[in-house]
Amino acid sequence: MIDTIRLIASLLLTGAGLFCLLSAVVGVYRFRYALSRIHAAALIDTVGICLMLLGVIVATGFTVASAKMLVVIGFLWLTSPVSSHLIGRLEVTINDELDKDAAVMDRAYVEHEKEAELPIETAAPTDKEEDA
Amino acid sequence: MHNAFDILYNGALIIIGVLLLACLVRAIRGPRIADRVIAINMMGTLVVIIICILSFLMDEGYLVDIAMIYTMLSFLAVVLLTKIYMGVYREKRRQEQEDERHD
Repeated sequence: MIDTIRLIASLLLTGAGLFCLLSAVVGVYRFRYALSRIHAAALIDTVGICLMLLGVIVATGFTVASAKMLVVIGFLWLTSPVSSHLIGRLEVTINDELDKDAAVMDRAYVEHEKEAELPIETAAPTDKEEDA
Repeated sequence: MHNAFDILYNGALIIIGVLLLACLVRAIRGPRIADRVIAINMMGTLVVIIICILSFLMDEGYLVDIAMIYTMLSFLAVVLLTKIYMGVYREKRRQEQEDERHD
């Protein structure tokens, strides 16, 4: 009896997790630009791995291994936003034609990202203002 | 009952393997560097899920330790890749500005 309940619960959780993984991969193919793809890819790191590992935890029962899986979920929930933010910063920094790809952008922030860690006297904005 | 769990998780492993191949194709095709880094990040997470399922199927608890270390390594890889490509871009930009100054 209890085994049947565990099987059904882990079946439901794994099914929902597989649906999330599938929709994330489809989203990565359907979106057209990298900054939109981050949105789809973050689905795997948060809800996808949470549902799949919860299914495995239900199937395993209360052991040390399932506690470690909870630690894995917590660690991914902490680090996934950081890595998404870093990838977004990378794209904003190295894309010279962001106007074409992004409809809305903060120009001051973009310039600040591009000019970081440069010596002040060689920074580009002063040259641009003189040209203008 | 154990047989039913085996069938369920073997099917899940097959589907995740197909998704892993799709992510690899995205990483190879991706037009921009950011696309490739996103695909690599997704592949790392999928591999963590695969290792956890294998630890249940093979009944080996220590495989979850490997999954924990793999999570940290994949996060470190993303941080390093983004830092390296930003540094390369800024170096290129600085070089261009110095060239303009000399001209």
